[in-house]
Amino acid sequence: MNRGAAPLAFLVALAALFAVPRLTGNEYVLAFGVSFATFSVLASGLNLVYGYTGLLSFAQVAFFGVGGYTCALLVTEWHWSLWTSAAAGGVLAALIGLLIGYSSLRLSRHAFAIVTISFALLCMIVSRDWVSLTRGSMGIPGLPVPSLALPGGLSWRLNRPSDFFSLMLGFSLASHVLIYLLVTSRIGRAMQAVKLNEPLAQSQGLNPLGYKLLTITLSAFLSGVIGSLFVFYLTIVDPSIFDFYYTETMLIMVILGGPGSFWGVLFSTAVLTGLPDLLRFSTDLRMVLYGLILIGAMLLFPGGIGGWFKQRRLAHWRKQPYGDKP
Amino acid sequence: MEAGFLIQLLVNGLVIGVIYALIAMGLSLIFGVLEIVNFAHGEFYMLAAMAAYFLTTNLGLGYWPTVAVVSVAGLAVGYVLYEALLASLRGESFERSILLTLGLSMVLQNGAIFLFTTTPKMIVSPYTYANFIFGQVRVPVLRVFALGLGVAAFALLYLVLYRTQVGKAMRGVAQNRDAALMVGIDPRAISRLAVAIGIGLSGLAGAALAPIYAVHPLMGFSFVFKAFAIIIIGGLGNVSGAAIAAIALGVLENLMGGFLPQVTVDGLAFVAMIAILLIRPEGLFGRGVRV
Repeated sequence: MNRGAAPLAFLVALAALFAVPRLTGNEYVLAFGVSFATFSVLASGLNLVYGYTGLLSFAQVAFFGVGGYTCALLVTEWHWSLWTSAAAGGVLAALIGLLIGYSSLRLSRHAFAIVTISFALLCMIVSRDWVSLTRGSMGIPGLPVPSLALPGGLSWRLNRPSDFFSLMLGFSLASHVLIYLLVTSRIGRAMQAVKLNEPLAQSQGLNPLGYKLLTITLSAFLSGVIGSLFVFYLTIVDPSIFDFYYTETMLIMVILGGPGSFWGVLFSTAVLTGLPDLLRFSTDLRMVLYGLILIGAMLLFPGGIGGWFKQRRLAHWRKQPYGDKP
Repeated sequence: MEAGFLIQLLVNGLVIGVIYALIAMGLSLIFGVLEIVNFAHGEFYMLAAMAAYFLTTNLGLGYWPTVAVVSVAGLAVGYVLYEALLASLRGESFERSILLTLGLSMVLQNGAIFLFTTTPKMIVSPYTYANFIFGQVRVPVLRVFALGLGVAAFALLYLVLYRTQVGKAMRGVAQNRDAALMVGIDPRAISRLAVAIGIGLSGLAGAALAPIYAVHPLMGFSFVFKAFAIIIIGGLGNVSGAAIAAIALGVLENLMGGFLPQVTVDGLAFVAMIAILLIRPEGLFGRGVRV
């Protein structure tokens, strides 16, 4: 896709999104859309950190949940609007991401992975035990129907599933355009250089820590905002928002789609969002299956779908004759 | 403040610290030798506790035979784990090793939930309600046994690492894998042994803790998160550093738990880890190669 065409494609897709609920009232389609919007932002955020910059982060679910809790608390306790609360949730998640990234990357990539998983588990435990703030394992149920103030004095009450469908897919679309523009820019190439060979990138005058912190902070922000919107869709936030299930699912999406492949991850997210309904058996067995997929992928095809296409493309190029085409 | 209460907290802290140490030492040993963070480590601890439950409850095995059987089984599982999964990984594919062991952890944990459900199980044995009484302090027999087993395991590991040829080889591989290969050490055999010892230690921890706490499929998960913090605090790959940090954490958590809200106790390990990373990134006791 041409970079210049991105804003246009964004507007067309946005219009199409708002048209879908008019065309079909099918709740399955709407629920699928919300689910896809949530997971695609989470998976693309993880792809940004892991696929492009080479840092394995387990804290995406923590940013997601921190965003959700922050937003829910700001709306219910301080009566902020959904706009500002969601932004605040995203900003808090981003700040935490910055702190975690800065402190652990001083040591190593190893430490980053360990600190992020510890943080994700800590969030789950704290949300359960800090009863005075988070109300413990009961969570905060009955989140109010939010109303968004739009420019021009209008307001949009989000009281139907189709409203969340449009809002969340709209946000997810904006995130993907942002991520796409980022990874195809000079910054994106610098990120990949840092992933492939950090000392070499450094010797070319790139500051690896800066690029790493940028991707961590951005993906934390996006996860935080989508978490904020997601809890209002569910109308409840409780400690299960930090469930390891989200981490496992988004990891599978990135690994199968191909780390560092923008379209591959979106494709696998779409497939895997639909799949649980096809694999309609016990959740435990589904997670066993995901675990087996993860092991198999790591042993057999670590590049995922995107990696396979990339190899094909490289093989195609190698067959081309040297020199300019006649 | 009653002295007996303090001593009680201290003893409980020591016991839990020793169990943390058994898990964290194995994790740190595996990291030191293979440069792999074993995310499935907690699941082996959980499986060991499950195995101990079935051995005592269904087969009627006594406490000591159970501990022995489960520890030896842990060693064997470690061998198989290395040969089946970890041998194909190299040091530079760190993220792959994490994802691989994470996949294994998902399979084991959710498989256990599917087979055994999340209902906690209690082991009832003649020792369950027995206490040693020292003046005002009553210490459950099982906790003393767990403490003793942990100390014995630590001593044994220390002797193996510092007094035997194979231990020297293990420290050599941890320091420099290529140089070790050049002087005729087989890194594969050493790595296999390190994984076996690591899993064996978490097997021992599972068997020793199973009669004290309830056994359920999610027990490993919450434990291993503290073990990760411990190995960073003690210095990645530093086994004795991990042991000291583990015992300190266990004691501190219990002392704090006596007076402060639960959430501060939960956060302690994490806050300590971040503080160490900011102040002294190589860990309290130095990083890397010291096993």
